[in-house]
Parts: sequence; structure tokens; C-alpha cells
Amino acid sequence: MSGRAASARPRPGGGRSHESRRPAGREGREVGQPPGPRPSPAWPGPALSSPSPARRPGGADLRASAPGPGLGAPYLEVDLVHHLVSDVMVDSDVQGVQVKENIKFTPSLSEQRHKFVLDFVRKHKPQKVADLGCANCKLLWRLKYHESIEVLAGLDIDENILTRNIYRLHTGAGDYLDPRERPLTITLYHGSVVEKDPCLLGFDLITCIELIEHLEAKELAQFPEAIFGFLSPTTVIISTPNSEFNPLFSGKTVFRHPDHKFEWDRTQFQSWALDAARHYGYSVEFTGLGEPPPGAEAVGFCTQIGVFVKNIPNTDESLHSEKTTECTHTKVGTVIYPSLKEEKYLRKAVSNEVFSYILKMKRDLLESLKMKNDSDGCDEPEYVQPECDEFKNDPTEETPKPFCIENVFYVPLERLFSFPKIKHLCGDRETLKMLIADEVTLSSDGSSVMINIVDEEDCDLNDNDGDDYDLDH
Amino acid sequence: MTGRARVRARGVYRSSESRLSGQSQSSAWSHLAAKDREAATSSGLLGIKRIPQKSEEGISAGDGAECTLVQRGGRTQHRNFLELGIHTREKLEHVKDCKTGTSGAPVKLVTNIFNLALPREWHLFQYHVTFSPELASKRLRIALLCSHSKFQKKAKVFDGSILFLSEKLEEKVTTLSGETRPGICITITVTLTSELPSCSPVCIQFFNIIFRKILKKLSMYQIGRNFYSPVDPVEIPQHKLSLWPGFAISVSQLENKLMFTANVTHKVLRNETVLEFMTDLYNRKDKSRFIETCEKELLGSVVLTRYNNKTYRIDDIDWSVKPTDTFQKRDGTRITYFDYYKQQYDIKLSDLNQPMLVSQLKRKGTGNEEARIAHLIPELCYFTGLSKRMTSDFRLMKDLATNTHLNPLLRQQRLSRLADNIQRNKEARFELETWGLQFGCQMSLTGRVVPSEKILMQDTICQPMSSANWSKDMRNCKLLGARALNNWLIVCSHRNEDVAENLLNCLRRVSGPMGFHIEKPKITKVQENTTAFIRAIQQHTNLDLQLVMCILPSNQKDCYDSIKRFLSLDHPVPSQCVLARTLIRQGMMMSIATKIAMQMVSKLGGELWAVEIPLKSLMVVGIDVNKEACAKGRSAVGFVASSNSRITRWFSRCILQNTKTNIADCLKVCMKGALDKWYRYNHCFPTRIIVYRDGVGDGQLQTIVDYEVPQLLSSLRDSNPNYSPKVSVIVVRKSCMPRFFTEMNSTLQNPPLGTVVDSEATRPEWYDFYLISQAAYQGTVTPTYYNVIYDDNGLKPDHMQRLTYKLCHLYYNWPGLIKIPAPCQYAHKLTFLVGQSIHREPSMELADYLFYL
Repeated sequence: MSGRAASARPRPGGGRSHESRRPAGREGREVGQPPGPRPSPAWPGPALSSPSPARRPGGADLRASAPGPGLGAPYLEVDLVHHLVSDVMVDSDVQGVQVKENIKFTPSLSEQRHKFVLDFVRKHKPQKVADLGCANCKLLWRLKYHESIEVLAGLDIDENILTRNIYRLHTGAGDYLDPRERPLTITLYHGSVVEKDPCLLGFDLITCIELIEHLEAKELAQFPEAIFGFLSPTTVIISTPNSEFNPLFSGKTVFRHPDHKFEWDRTQFQSWALDAARHYGYSVEFTGLGEPPPGAEAVGFCTQIGVFVKNIPNTDESLHSEKTTECTHTKVGTVIYPSLKEEKYLRKAVSNEVFSYILKMKRDLLESLKMKNDSDGCDEPEYVQPECDEFKNDPTEETPKPFCIENVFYVPLERLFSFPKIKHLCGDRETLKMLIADEVTLSSDGSSVMINIVDEEDCDLNDNDGDDYDLDH
Repeated sequence: MTGRARVRARGVYRSSESRLSGQSQSSAWSHLAAKDREAATSSGLLGIKRIPQKSEEGISAGDGAECTLVQRGGRTQHRNFLELGIHTREKLEHVKDCKTGTSGAPVKLVTNIFNLALPREWHLFQYHVTFSPELASKRLRIALLCSHSKFQKKAKVFDGSILFLSEKLEEKVTTLSGETRPGICITITVTLTSELPSCSPVCIQFFNIIFRKILKKLSMYQIGRNFYSPVDPVEIPQHKLSLWPGFAISVSQLENKLMFTANVTHKVLRNETVLEFMTDLYNRKDKSRFIETCEKELLGSVVLTRYNNKTYRIDDIDWSVKPTDTFQKRDGTRITYFDYYKQQYDIKLSDLNQPMLVSQLKRKGTGNEEARIAHLIPELCYFTGLSKRMTSDFRLMKDLATNTHLNPLLRQQRLSRLADNIQRNKEARFELETWGLQFGCQMSLTGRVVPSEKILMQDTICQPMSSANWSKDMRNCKLLGARALNNWLIVCSHRNEDVAENLLNCLRRVSGPMGFHIEKPKITKVQENTTAFIRAIQQHTNLDLQLVMCILPSNQKDCYDSIKRFLSLDHPVPSQCVLARTLIRQGMMMSIATKIAMQMVSKLGGELWAVEIPLKSLMVVGIDVNKEACAKGRSAVGFVASSNSRITRWFSRCILQNTKTNIADCLKVCMKGALDKWYRYNHCFPTRIIVYRDGVGDGQLQTIVDYEVPQLLSSLRDSNPNYSPKVSVIVVRKSCMPRFFTEMNSTLQNPPLGTVVDSEATRPEWYDFYLISQAAYQGTVTPTYYNVIYDDNGLKPDHMQRLTYKLCHLYYNWPGLIKIPAPCQYAHKLTFLVGQSIHREPSMELADYLFYL
């Protein structure tokens, strides 16, 4: 099999489509068309005890496989552009090579990894989450939508990629129009995962998705101490390729990605993980993503994952006590989201709600008055209940009704407060009163909102009178 | 690719990250949010043309103006928003040395313009960069060059092929090498193409880019070409509106200095989701027509989806799809909308019965993809912009104006805060310093207040108390020339019969002192519907009918439109529509009747008043171009020319044409008509013609100078070979960046009417001036900008300014000054009526009347 794959290799054009689908940096984090030749069983998996020398098989292999100089450029392009290719379609339409051997994942494996993290977040509702090796920030972008998260941090060794991708995390008009319930601050840091920086202390979840295989042996050796020992978050998710799966791919490189320094089989990963967990007081569970095709179940998942949970949860004291190390990471950018925890946004949200209810009640009232007037002269008197469906069997029934004195319409605060959304936003009546005091007119005893019934519109002079007046001013 | 897109695509700026992936698959329709795309789509840096490369080896020491403005083949969409490199003044002999006027009292003015200082001998160095082997990806090129040690610490701007540096490299040609991946070497050749002085157009464009960067550093959002600050919005909850304060900015070379202009603007955001709107509409009466009304209101509006901050146009509503239905994702799996939003954005949809908004996504790239469609959830869509319904809501607009029309003092406060921020912010200051820019103080200058005008009536000359409004001053004065109204018709509904009688009485009372004779009209009462009105008019039209007055029961647009259409096309008679509601205002009837009477006099071809015009045999022309509301891609060109020396009578013509067509063709027809008319009344041709051209969009000046003016001149030659009048062409701009304030009683105020600014804030390459001819009762006055692009009349600048000011007095729909010369305002009114109501060219029989007032 490997022989056939090798003989089919130098195909003009095939190389390109093949490679362009593959993000070459660690950021790409994608399984493209990984290696064809079965790694020899003697391949030395770097264990903690015997770190293998750093290898860069990707570059060499690709160069060797390029049929001519003409194809050199596409390779290069791919290499630097890798981080721009956000989600690579896994072998959607690879031309040629060994179709029989292609493995497709739907949804894509990187999507599945993100989903794995998101499901975890949904279940455990961490408040502070950091993504190490966040690269194109796509996972952070997915995470920012989760209400439970209040602090998000991303760390990457490549500063360029962070400055180019921080835009994904920026706030937009929508975030101001409909602010989050809870605050959210996103910070991107430039630095190495093995440097001990206090800015990442006290997190609930740290994710290292397809990260460790990019570490040089020296860094890999420091990694457990930096993450589990120093940062010591409540939970850690680590994912990495499972090398046992690689033979199923019809590629030609040794590793799935040219920047990978190693790829572990399950035993290697698990022993490394168990070692680290034991040493730093974590328990670890293993799982994976990307099921092998029928008949090849023995190789295990395409991506292997370790979920680490700290045995003794962090306490406030343990967080504040020590670790006054100097900061080594540099801040690339901070994005602060508006939230209802800030009074100005809360005030806005409440007054918008209050106004829409009041204006609605006023309109219903006017309409019912108009109905009455009209029906006086009409053949078929028809009285329409001003209350609409929404008001039926709802809690507002119990509360004082809005009323009219002369031309002023009074809406009791009590009634406003009974609307679930307003109640939810304000919490208590005093807060409601305080928040809307500047926006509305309150009755003298402060129990109702007052609004004029007569539309002042009728009094304007310069309205749209056809061609009557021209307004130059 | 348009210039805008191209500039956006430059990789230098963070916002320029655009999506690369996701285009390989062309699914017939994919859910809009299946991919996150560029977060800030509207973040194009500048609508400028791509700075073209100079490939030759030589260094051009001069400016790169020519190269910037060369129209590149095939790209007609390019717009030179800053209108750089158009030198019209140098061709005007009489203003070469001095373009300033002399008359009037000097007035000290504060501006919204700031000095920018550069070191002496400052140059921008433009390099051309090539890569070998060639790199197709712009991003790759940018990444490679910017990460090179040689440029890492340097101030630079690089778009993939052109590199700008503030310091010169040692060599004219520098060869560097870089690695895209281990072992693969790329040779980068950097060649100096120009050394640009700060006043060169390329530099001006460049500075604009730099300042856009700076404002972003101040945490402002770019929307369109302006910058807004979302952190301290103004809320107007009763209308569900939020306002983001912000600035429009520009850097330009004014007279002899580089200047930064900042103008306070606001962005209106709406706190209303489409679902709220729909529910609201549903709960109003008449549920049977809900779907129809809903589609009428929603289709075509632009919405913002709150989860990804993108905008979409609503093209359709799919009432059959609900959030619990499924759609196919890109990867082929199916998911319900509800689950999708839960999974992707952690949003729990509250209404499971809402329909889907349908938006057709713009095709990107090659265009051989099938058009893609996005389904949007009403609950997650916010409206953007003000709807028609909102702009016609008087209270809303008033509340909006209260918050957006800032008086000079508040404006000044905002400006100083901006200046402060730019100077204090570390990153902003760093950006300025790297390029050697120094942000200076606010400019103040001296303007002149030109003498006020006397208003000539039939027997009297009145010197109004205020030229903003002389209605009081002309009370009991006879109008200059009113034609008797003998044969006319009033159409009103049965319900409004009394109202009509009342109006008629008032009209009789006010018309006497005006010298306007009104005979008894024929009054017809009809049902309250459009057809009844039209039928009544049809029945009662006769050849001698001079005017039709309609008293409309409501301001339904279709009724008004039908009447206007019938009376300007089928049976051309001037018409006067009045809302019944207007006529029931107690205590105001006399002033309303006065106004209506004056409008009727104008529509009958009468003259209301005049100002002294020292030039005899002068024809003034106003041109405006407006969009046609109904037919996309068509525009209405309005042409209004005076037909007597006193400039009290007008010839008006409106032509509908394709928006892309040059308006020069129809100018020929109009000009000929105007000259014939002039000849008929004066038995000679005018010796001077001054054309005020309004409706010039940003970036169109070049076309006007290059095509319109020559064609206008040739059309005059064609009309009569022996006739060669002296011609001036003036471009009128109602909106411009500069604002002027005067210090009075220890506070800032609007400058007095008639203030002219023709120095310092003007551009050296143009014969231009600012004139304040309108009174602002609220907020800060916007000066009107005049740019004389062609002038062989040889009038002194002072006379040109004063003539322009005089013309602002002659708009018969308002007894006071207006902000543009009357012929322009007439042309505007005409195009508005045609574009909004008639949609066809009105009958030539009406050309002598101001029937469109």
C-alpha cells in the first residue's frame, strides 16, 4: 500500500491541490492528507524520559515531493498563508491519490474539537477560560458567545497572527444594542506556553488544542510544570494527534503537519498524561474524536484528548497566596464587552423595555377609545379587547391597572415591574425606579409613570404638508 | 475590484483580514452564519483609488499627482473622494494671484480645522517591491516584508507591492532575502520610485489613512468613512434609538498648510428587532392585511444581526419556515435553526413561530456561483437607519435633532476632546511621531460679512430687519408682479367644505394688499379617495383653467402623486395641494393663507420680489441631479434658468435619464430651451451666463471639469455660431466639512448671515469660497461651499461672492435667505417632485411657471 502511494506521488497538479488543503502551521490545526508511508514501528515516540531531537520532516518531504520548481511557489504560499485558511475542508475533493484510502470527517475534525470544548463549557460553565496556542482565535471567537464566561484569554507564540486575528473578537454594534448579561473581557497575550506568567493564574479551564505536538522537546519537558504546576487551573483539555491512526491516511509525509515535532500513539500520550496528572494532583480521563473506519477500530480515535481535573479545587487563598512571578507575556490587545452589569447599559435596557410597554399600553388605550367613538355611529358595534394575547393569564393581571386622569395616562410601576423581563433586569422595584427616573415623568407620589395621551404631533406647524411648506431650515 | 475593496484588501491593517476559506464549496444555499466572516465589513480605509505603481526605474522628484489620478482602464468605479490633483484655478487668469473679496466687515472665526506640522524638507518615500520567485498571495508578501528585520522597527505602509517609508533607504535598489519556510529563499527587491513632498496628492491620501488608523486607536468604530464612539451613546428610548457620537475626518492641503478637519457627526442605531416590529404590527388592527403590510414595511430594509454584527438587506420573508425547521450546513449535516443558534452562539430563541427573513447574499469573486440565500431570524435582527415612517415622524425627528444638532459651544467641546485624545493617547501619538507629524492647534481666521441686501417690491424697497425672514417686513407691500387669477378650481372632500370656504375667505383678505387679484373659483366636492379627486379634476379642466387647488383629507402619498402626475403630464396646469389638517389651525390662518397666496402667485408665473442685480443681460442657471425614487439607475436632472435680467422669472426643465449617462447631453437640450426663452422675452441673447451646479457627488468633480464644462460651452456655440457669451460654472456643495464659529458675548455662536470665508480654509488649487447664507435656529450652521471651476466672465471675486449671496434671496417659497442660490433650490424642488411623484418629464407647457414649488 505504501508503495502504491509513493509511486503515485509525483503527479503534476496533484501536489498542489493536495497541499493547499493543508494548513501548514500549528494554527491550522487540521488534519489534511496525512502521511502515506506507514511510520515504521521503530519510530521513536518522544517520551518524557527520552525526548527525541526536533524534527522538521515537513519541509524536507515537501521539497522532495515537489515535481519541479514550478510547484515550489504554491507550497510556499500555503506555508505562510496557513493561518488565513480558517477551516480547511477535510478532503472534500482531493484530486487523485488513493481515494479509497481517504478518511472524511463530518463535521471537520477541527470543528469537532471546538465543539468538544464548547460542550464542555456548556456543561461545566467555567468563568475564566484560556486557550493556549489560540492562533487564529477561532476557538476564542466561539467561546465568547457563552454567557458563563467572564474572562477569556488567548496565548500564542506568534504575535503577528494575534494582531491579525484579534478583529474576530472585537465588539460590534450588536454587542452594544443587546449587551451581555455578564461582563466579558478578552485578552490576547503573546508569549510561550512554558513561561510562567501570573496573568493566566486562577483560570477554570485551560485548553491546549493540538498544541503539544508543536513543542520542541525542551519545551515539552517544561510544559507540565508550567501548566499543571504553576497555572494550576481547575480543568485542562489537551488534544493531540493519535499516530496509530496515521496509516489510514493516504498521504506521504511522516506527520500530519510539517511543524509537528512528534506524534504520539495512545500509550505514549496516556503515559505522559498520567505522569503529569499524578505529579500535580490531577485526575485525567481520555477520549477522542474522529472515529476510525469500520474494520480499523483498533487504531482508536484520530485525535486523542485528555481531560484533566484538579483533585483539590482552587480556593481563593490558594490563588492569592503565592506566585508573584514577573509577567513575561506581552499583551497584544484587550477587548471589553459592554454588559448589563454596567449601569449605563442596564439603564438603557430597562428604559427601552419600559417605553415599549408604556407606549403599547397607551396605543391600546387610544385604539379602544377610538373604537368606542367609531362604534357610536356604526351599524355593527364591535368592541375589541385592548389587551392582546400576551396579557392573557399572565402575572400582570394581579397588579394595578394603568389608568387615565384627564389627558394623562398613568402606568403604575408595580405593573411595569410585573413584566418578567423588567423584573429580571431590575431585580427590585427601587432599582427600577432609580433606573428610569431620568427618562420618564413619575407621578408626584412616585408610584406611576405619567405620559400625555394627546399626541403632540397635532400641534406642529412644519409637518409634511405636501407642497404647502418648503423647509429649508 | 473597486478602489475601496482594493484598499480594504491591503493587508497592512488589521481590519483587512478577509475570508479566504469557505468559498470552495458552492452550496445552493448555506446558512449565513455558518462561517464567521470579517467582523468589520465596513472598515474600508478610504475610498481612494489604489495608488498605482510606477514601474520605471527613475525617481520622480515631483509629486505623484498625475499618476494617482490617471483613470485606469476598465475601472470606472474609482472615485477620488478627496478630489486631489484637479487644478482649475491656474487656468483662471483673473484669480491667479488673488481670489479674495474685499467688501464687508471683517469677522473673527474659529474653525474645526487643526494645523498639522511636518519637519522642513519632509518627504515620503515610495518604493516598488517585487518578489522572486513571485508570490501570488498579497498576505504572504506583506507578512514576508513586514517581518523582515530591515523593516521591523521602521514606520511603513505596505500594500503588497507599494511600500511607503518615512526614511530613505541607503540604496535606490535594495535586495533582501527572506524565507517563507525553512530552506525556501525569496528575493525581495525594493526600488525607490518617488520622493513625495507633503503636498502631493499621494501624501494627502496617505495622511488620511494614517489618521484613520489613529482614530481606530482611540477605540472608535469606523462606519462608512466616519468614526464613532460606542462607549458613550445618547439614548432616546421613547423612539428606541441610540446615537453614537463621532467624527468625519479628513486631511487636506489648505492654502499653504497641511490641515486636519474634524466634523462632529452621529450614527443612529435602532434598538428594535424585526420580531418586535412584527409583533407590534400584528397587534395593531387589521390582521388580515398583516402579511402584506409587513412585507411592504420590511422588504428592502437593512438589518444588523446582533451575533456577528453584519448587515443584510431583507429581500423576502419566508412565512413557511420556522426556527424549528432544519437547514443544511456547509458540511452537509442538517440542523434546526434553533439548535444552530444555541450551539453556535449560545442564543436561545424565544419565539419558535417566527418566520424567516430572506436575504440574497452578494456574489463574491467570479460570480459563477449560484446566488446564495441567507435565512435570518427576526428576533436576532436589528433595524438600521431611519425608515421612511420614522423620518416623517415629526416628534421623532425633533427629538433626534435636539440631540444631534449641537450648538457651536458643544461642538467646540467635542472637538477639543478629540484633539486632546489624539495628543494624549500613547499609540496615537506614537503613530504621529513615527511619520514626523505634529498635531497642532485649532485654526482661527478672519472672514467678512458682506453687506445685507434690500428687497425690491412693487412700490417700495425694504431693508429687512433680518435677512433670515422678511415676511413681517413685506406685510402690506405689493408684490412685484402678480397675475390675476380668474379661472380656477378648488377640489375638496365633502367633509372639508367649510375648510375650503374658510381658506378662500382668508385668501381674499390677504391677496388684496399683495396686489393679487383672485376671482371666485369653482368649488367641487368629492369623496375622500384618489380616483374621486382625479375624476373631478378631469371633469372640470378647460383650456383657460389657470390653477387647481386640492384640499387633501390626509397626506396619503398616492393621492398627492396622482394629482401631480395628472396635472403635470396629461393636463398641464399649475396645482396647489393643501392638507386639510393645516387649515384647521386656529389663529394661524392668516399667515398660512399669506404663504399659500404667495405660492399661488409664483405658480402662476408671477414675481414676488427682487434684489438689485448690477449686471445687465445676465442669465443664471441652477442645475441639480436627484435620484429617481421608482426606477433604480435613473436620475432626474433639473435645470432652471432665469429668463429676465431682473432674475425674477424662470424657465424650468427636468429630464430623466440613466444615472450613468453624462448629464451633458441633456444640458444641451435644456440650454437651448433656456436661450430661446430668453430671446423671446428679451429679443437678444444674454451676454453673461453663470451656472450653479449642485448635486455633484464626492469624487465627481473631475468629471464635471473634464466633460460637463466643455460640453456646456460647445452647446452654447452650437446654438448660434455668432453667439459667444461669457460663462462661469460654479460647483455648489451643501455639505462640507468645515464649520465656522464666532466668539460673541464670551460664548461661541454661529457667524452672522453673509459671512464669507475665502482664505486659509480654502484650497490653493481652486477658486473657492464658503458663504453662510442660512440661519440655523438649532445647532451649528453648515456653510455652503462654492468652487468656481470655469470663469471667463472675469468678475472680481468680491462680485462673484456678492452675486451668489444675492441669488440666495430669490427663492419664492421662503421670504428669507436660503442656503443655496435660488435657481439651485428650484432645480432641487423640481427634481424632487419628478423623482418622488411624477416619474416622467413634466409637460413643457409648464416650463414658464414655478409649478413645482
